[in-house]
Amino acid sequence: MKMIINIAAILSIAFAAELEIGSTMPKMEQKLQDISGRTMTLADAKGDQGTLVVFSCNTCPWVINWEDRYLTLADTYISKGIGMIAVNSNSSRFNGSESLDEMVSHADKIGYQFPYAQDPGSELAYAFGATKTPHIYLFDKEDKLVYRGAIDDNGRDASKVDEPFLANAIDELLSGDSISKTTSKAMGCSIKFP
Amino acid sequence: MKNLFILFCCTFLISSCDRVDLTQATSQDINTIVKSFKGKKVVLVNVWALWCLPCVEEFPMIVELGQDSKDLEVLFVSADFIDQSDQVHDFLGKQGVYDLSLIKNEKDEPFINGLHPDWSGTLPFTVVYSKLSGEIVDFWEGKEPETRFRSAIEKALRS
Repeated sequence: MKMIINIAAILSIAFAAELEIGSTMPKMEQKLQDISGRTMTLADAKGDQGTLVVFSCNTCPWVINWEDRYLTLADTYISKGIGMIAVNSNSSRFNGSESLDEMVSHADKIGYQFPYAQDPGSELAYAFGATKTPHIYLFDKEDKLVYRGAIDDNGRDASKVDEPFLANAIDELLSGDSISKTTSKAMGCSIKFP
Repeated sequence: MKNLFILFCCTFLISSCDRVDLTQATSQDINTIVKSFKGKKVVLVNVWALWCLPCVEEFPMIVELGQDSKDLEVLFVSADFIDQSDQVHDFLGKQGVYDLSLIKNEKDEPFINGLHPDWSGTLPFTVVYSKLSGEIVDFWEGKEPETRFRSAIEKALRS
């Protein structure tokens, strides 16, 4: 029985399609364990003008490379009505390096000014088709997906970014323009599913 | 004199085998190299990185696969940054990879799409190309067991 469940889990990862642009935010009422100690949902994280969901973790070197950009995005856009949440879907490591305690320490060390929550069973990652960290999803105020992919084109060095994909998309969203580049790709660490 | 000659030969063999050939490459360069093996060998491209634990875990198994078959060319492509070349070089040497090995020298998005449009960018990433047609017969993201690799290689040998 356990083998069947494992095979089903593997197949669901292999065939999980990424959320299409225009899709409604899935699993908005899924319960997540936030580092503040409260249970929250994506609906709680929504902003008046849109919502940014970042699949992230404590340990991935690509997350660590891009994390300075998390803070800049939060500083720039939360005050403009963009809700932001970082979701940790590495559920197979919740008893170790991705535990809630480790998440609290990590968020404190980096200076997160936004919720950082565990996704039990990686349910949100499955629903979004998220496969790696960092993996970005931006929704408009009607909860429709308008952008997914990478933060920008240089994980190593924020000063050498040529195309700030996500910031461009948020600026266009806030100004009411259509999003000129709706998807992008970058390297990342695989999400550690159950 | 005879002992000196043997010592010289051994030293030469050891030093010549100890050279790791690490070359910078774009996705286009990789595709060109893969095409050069069409009709000659199955090619397995494995994109990995030092910081990627699943990549490092499956690495020795892939090295062995390459050593076991004369019909298979394994091409390792490091997705580390160019300024980490020395560390990549050391790792390859410790793993016994002395053939041509590559390190990514292109921005992420064109590199990812250039190797396969359905690759999300998650590492490790493996692509297997047919011996006869040179076409892709299988690809996958993430760490996989040896059976998956052997099955794809068998398929690539027959197609």
